[in-house]
Amino acid sequence: MARLGTGIGLRARHYADFMGGARPAAGWLEVHSENYFAAGGRERAVLEALRRDYPVSLHGVGLGLGSAEGYSTRHEDRLCALVERVQPAFVSEHLCWGAAAGRHFNDLLPLPFSREALDLVAGRVARLQERLGRRILVENVSCYVEPGGSEMGEGEFLAALARRTGCGLLLDVNNLYVNQVNLGRDALAQMRALDPASVREIHLAGFFAGEDCLIDTHGARVADPVWRLYDAALALFGPVPTLIEWDTDVPPLAVLLDEAAKAQARLDSPHALAA
Amino acid sequence: MRSLLEQQRTFAARLLEAGSGPLRMEVYRANAFGNWSGALGGAYPVVRALVGAEFFDRLARDFALATPSTSGDLHEYGEQLAPFLERYAHTQDLPYLPDVARLEWLAHRAYYAADPEPLDFSRPTEARLAPACGLLRSNWTVARIWDAHQEGGDPAAVDLCAGPEHVLVHRPGWRVEVRALERGDYRFLERLQAGAGLGPALEAAVAADAAFDARAAFAAWVQTGVITR
Repeated sequence: MARLGTGIGLRARHYADFMGGARPAAGWLEVHSENYFAAGGRERAVLEALRRDYPVSLHGVGLGLGSAEGYSTRHEDRLCALVERVQPAFVSEHLCWGAAAGRHFNDLLPLPFSREALDLVAGRVARLQERLGRRILVENVSCYVEPGGSEMGEGEFLAALARRTGCGLLLDVNNLYVNQVNLGRDALAQMRALDPASVREIHLAGFFAGEDCLIDTHGARVADPVWRLYDAALALFGPVPTLIEWDTDVPPLAVLLDEAAKAQARLDSPHALAA
Repeated sequence: MRSLLEQQRTFAARLLEAGSGPLRMEVYRANAFGNWSGALGGAYPVVRALVGAEFFDRLARDFALATPSTSGDLHEYGEQLAPFLERYAHTQDLPYLPDVARLEWLAHRAYYAADPEPLDFSRPTEARLAPACGLLRSNWTVARIWDAHQEGGDPAAVDLCAGPEHVLVHRPGWRVEVRALERGDYRFLERLQAGAGLGPALEAAVAADAAFDARAAFAAWVQTGVITR
């Protein structure tokens, strides 16, 4: 999978760039799965057309693997149907919860790193992988409050999840940095807790520096300390396929491709091959 | 130690209540309400334009609190806006607003609906409305209000009280279109949508409008892709 190199998150703003003739030089494309759950229409047609020219990764934002109640098997059904149709290079979900008390919050809410949460998420991941007949990747999320009740570190939890289910990890380096600043979790220590072979994809994005904490807006260029952490990740895990994510104030495509080129240069450096 | 379920319910309650819990809960609050408001505005751009962006944020917040999101797919969020507006105290002076919302939800659904399969003329009994099609009867001129808020339209020129209107929402290609229908056509498509079958639907249309030309209407609706198989 290393040959995939760097990809970008495909957003509606850039459909015209991709559908207007020559295909832009992106290594691969990642989309939010839920944006393509529909039975028909333009979004679906765009994805099917681009699927023929790029490897595609389906990245779910709404399943909520760690919701203690309100987990939707219908959402799972819709994801399975999409995976069947698109045959993506990767399928990923977030390590988070999203629903409680009869309501979906449509956000990536923080889980404690407890044995109870691990049992719950591992069961859901195992079942989803069985339904899909393939391995999925699970991504660490950014947090603003410590949920309380953790019995292990974030890295330890992710490593245990990968060991128990055979799932891969989608390591969001920006989220590790955001959590280090917001909650004092040592980003490098979390990475060192992982089995290098389990890390199959890396996410990079920009944050917004608020008064009290960093906010993971995916609305800016990748920050310098995150690039340094990325270098450390490549040294630990090798040249893992990397994605530039941009979701708010989405800039012209050239800006995303420029960020992707920066990541590609690091992927191509001998430093990254050390692992 | 509290169970995961108890912990998540507590977190959920704090998230919904301004000022509750640690200061940084505000980030989660802003995310959730921002996502809900964004999804609602995406599905209801004309309602948003009619009430103004600033008031729409308040409306979206009140709607979110009263009507929980129940799907991890935000494209499914907001279906109950029309009934919510029926009883929403702050928009009672805009009596056409619930029907505009009904029309916009039909348009939103149409955008994501399954692509149609053309009807084979030799098998007319397979005729049905394309999956994207929706019908609405309103006492207000909702199709004209919709048109006025599309690119190049003029909202000031709409006579709100020139209704009633019989409206068809459909999606030829990828773009959703809205049009007002004559009574006979509306009755025909409505009966067909209800599963009456082609013959009875055409008879109902003639009964509703003596000038209805069954043969021409059928051919025209097949040609525009409103009737498919």
